[in-house]
Amino acid sequence: MVAGGAAWATVSHAQETAAPAPAASSKQDKKAKAAKAAKAAKAAKGAPGAPAPAASLPADKLEGLRLALVGADDAAAIEAAGTLGASGSTAAAEPLVEILADGATAARLQAALDALAKLGEAHALRADQTTIDALTLYAGHRAPDVRRRALKVLGTINDPRVIPALSDRLGDAASDVRAAAAASLAERHEAKAAPRMFALLARGDAGVAAPLALLATPDMIPRVAELTGTIDDGIVADALGEYVKRADVPDKLRIDVLRTIGRLSGAVATTALVEYVASIPAKEDRPSKKEAQKLIDARGASE
Amino acid sequence: MSGARIRRGIGRGGLSAALALGAVACATSPFQRAGNADDVAGVVARLHPSAASTASTASTASTASNRSLAFLALAGAAGARLCEYDLATSHLVWSQPTDVTTRVAVGASVIVHGSKGTTPNGQMVARELGTGALLWQRPFPSSEHLYGYALDGDALFVVTREATKPQKPTGQLAAYDARTGLLRWQVTLPSARVAAPAAGGGIVAVPLESQYVLIYDGTTGMALAQVLSTEEAATFVRALPEGLFYGSRGVFLLGRDTARGSRHAPGYLAAQLPAFVRPTYDYDHYRPEQAEYSALDRNRVLWRVTVDGGKPQFRDGLVFVHDYRFFFAFDATSAALRWAYASPDDAVASTDTGRAILFVTAGGELGALDPLTGARTWRAELPGEVVRGATFDAEGFAPPAGPGASAPPDLLSALTAIIADPDQRFPAMKLFAIEELGRQPGREVTAKLIEILQSDRTAPLAVQKAGEMLVARRDAGAIDLLTAALRAHADYTEKRPAPPVEVLARAVGALGPLARSVAPDLEVHLRLPETSPAAAAEIARALVQIGASESVGALRDFLTMYRADTVYDRDPTALVAAAEALLKLGGTSDRELLLFVSEEPHTAAGLRAHLGRALGETATAAK
Repeated sequence: MVAGGAAWATVSHAQETAAPAPAASSKQDKKAKAAKAAKAAKAAKGAPGAPAPAASLPADKLEGLRLALVGADDAAAIEAAGTLGASGSTAAAEPLVEILADGATAARLQAALDALAKLGEAHALRADQTTIDALTLYAGHRAPDVRRRALKVLGTINDPRVIPALSDRLGDAASDVRAAAAASLAERHEAKAAPRMFALLARGDAGVAAPLALLATPDMIPRVAELTGTIDDGIVADALGEYVKRADVPDKLRIDVLRTIGRLSGAVATTALVEYVASIPAKEDRPSKKEAQKLIDARGASE
Repeated sequence: MSGARIRRGIGRGGLSAALALGAVACATSPFQRAGNADDVAGVVARLHPSAASTASTASTASTASNRSLAFLALAGAAGARLCEYDLATSHLVWSQPTDVTTRVAVGASVIVHGSKGTTPNGQMVARELGTGALLWQRPFPSSEHLYGYALDGDALFVVTREATKPQKPTGQLAAYDARTGLLRWQVTLPSARVAAPAAGGGIVAVPLESQYVLIYDGTTGMALAQVLSTEEAATFVRALPEGLFYGSRGVFLLGRDTARGSRHAPGYLAAQLPAFVRPTYDYDHYRPEQAEYSALDRNRVLWRVTVDGGKPQFRDGLVFVHDYRFFFAFDATSAALRWAYASPDDAVASTDTGRAILFVTAGGELGALDPLTGARTWRAELPGEVVRGATFDAEGFAPPAGPGASAPPDLLSALTAIIADPDQRFPAMKLFAIEELGRQPGREVTAKLIEILQSDRTAPLAVQKAGEMLVARRDAGAIDLLTAALRAHADYTEKRPAPPVEVLARAVGALGPLARSVAPDLEVHLRLPETSPAAAAEIARALVQIGASESVGALRDFLTMYRADTVYDRDPTALVAAAEALLKLGGTSDRELLLFVSEEPHTAAGLRAHLGRALGETATAAK
């Protein structure tokens, strides 16, 4: 359960029973609060081009941003979210998670999620239950864009509790959401997700090609190669091209895979070969590099 | 023998007919005696001499032929042919190359059918029954339109409309010797609005002007009686061993009480039938094109009656519906389905012999069904043939159990087969089948309804009907099935679509607290992206109905997540339902949340307005 943020929790029972409909004074209060919030947000933003904020936020600044987030001014709220995200402060997450818990317009939700993603990337997002619950909830939001953003944040949290939500979204109806889930799972080396990713690849889901390549075991590679002809060659090339770049792949196997790529048609296959060669330091001389170059040359000659 | 050899002219019968109906009358209206019960009773006495005025079972207008024949109009690679098939011995008796237009009528030793011929209005052809050899043919010129014909023994009665300029068109009823084609008598009918006749028991009946049935002596052409149908068009007449019938939306047994056809007469019958059935008790005899083999032969009601004390009843209380590939038996009083039979191929013709339902399919399968059970009792095949139409001459015939006999069809399986049938021609029938399925008891029915709901091949209306039946049956013994269906979440990887949550939620809700264990599986859908607003609303309502106070967390999450969503701004029904559920299931903290939601300016306006009222109304109770 996520709902239960601070904003509504402060509403008193006396208020509720006395005023079933919002009173005029209440509206005025809100206007005043919103104006204050906008002002605070402006102050908190600082000058354009300012250096990256410190990893901590002063309490008054944080409060100002919090108020801006819930204020009436959409632009100020979005700006406040951006500031919180860029702050790199672990304290910045709480007001952003509160936004998720209380619910908000799509624009504010997206801003809050983007900010949380930034915090996550800066390792400033704590793996507390409230945060995980809120993000998991929004990973099931009806709007794919919201889901994708929520998954991106979840992907930055180094905690096994986020895995079920990521795995669930591998079956999402939206391809970009599936891709986001797959990328997050691949980044955390969640090998259990590989069979489902392979199933998606077999359906021609381009978004899982690279993530699958990061998780695939050697025995899965021939099965990927066998998809040639049943799905777009480019997708197969993409998956195999990413696979050969992995440091843990034996060079002998790389050569086989590169030859398979060489037999695939299209620019993606050529790109995969070129990228492989480029991924190897210039001074390093390994057989697979020579093979890749040979295949590139052959493709060039035939074209 | 050509038409030119037929003796033409008004016979003595026509003259005597006019006399019989009254010299005074003929000067004013030709229908002066229409509805005269004494005249009609006289006809019935002729038809049923032994039981004219006493209670009895059916006598005969045309007695059972003791024959078991089918006359099949064939097409296909071998060309157009007419053949005679013996159902008792399962063999082809004869086959003659000919194009058949109007239906075959069968007499004692002659059959008659229409064919295209070379004249504008086609021709009538008579053949030897035993060999199919041509006896004679009668072309119709452009001025003469055939409306229909009937055989009684070897007497042939033909109704035509003649339009010889400058005279007004006239209706003609002519009697011929069916073997020779010689005219016996002819009468000019009182109207040119004529219809195909029926004949049996020595009389011939002709519908006229939609509301009359004129009855003539088949031997002399003398007019015997006139029926006036006062409440229902008389679009057909039919001679059966049970009596002479007329009607359209229902069936009138000719008798004293139906001389003026009223639906209140004891002699009137109309079966209760489901909505998908076209209650066609016979084709429209006023429309010559319907006298040809057509789709009408594939979609009709099959019926026979028993008569007790002059009051008819559908035999065994049943009527049968032939609907292309399907046969149904219905209780004529309640419309309850007794059995259903699905043929793999369209049946192009069928008949109720009184002891069996006989049919032939387009692909050349001949079959017989037990009228009481629907069991197939017999089967034969004409390999490689294409059957266009057929006429059966098999009164009282029931083939002995033989090849192809099978057990009575299981109603559940038959209904399931109809529902799952990929043939898109029968949407109304499929709805009926779903409704009937839903009325059957048992977990397997609930499972089947859920399966129908989950199938992506089910038409939207069928889904709706299956949902209604699932909700209405309140099957507490199938809660585990509902749970399992809810747990099958949508998954692109596994190519699994979302379950029909909206309907499942309604079905769970209809069970009330008995289904409380389903709450966790229901509430999880509030957090899934594929759950539609309509489904979310049903989930919220269902949670209230089952008293799932443990689900308030999911309701809170749903409400807060979407309270400011533009989709719900347009239609806040689901949010309102979730808020209502929170009010009913939640506690003080939930009311506080609702108050916050009601005051927060970004909350959907409809929800805010609703909460403003609802919180006020329930404030006292909350205290």
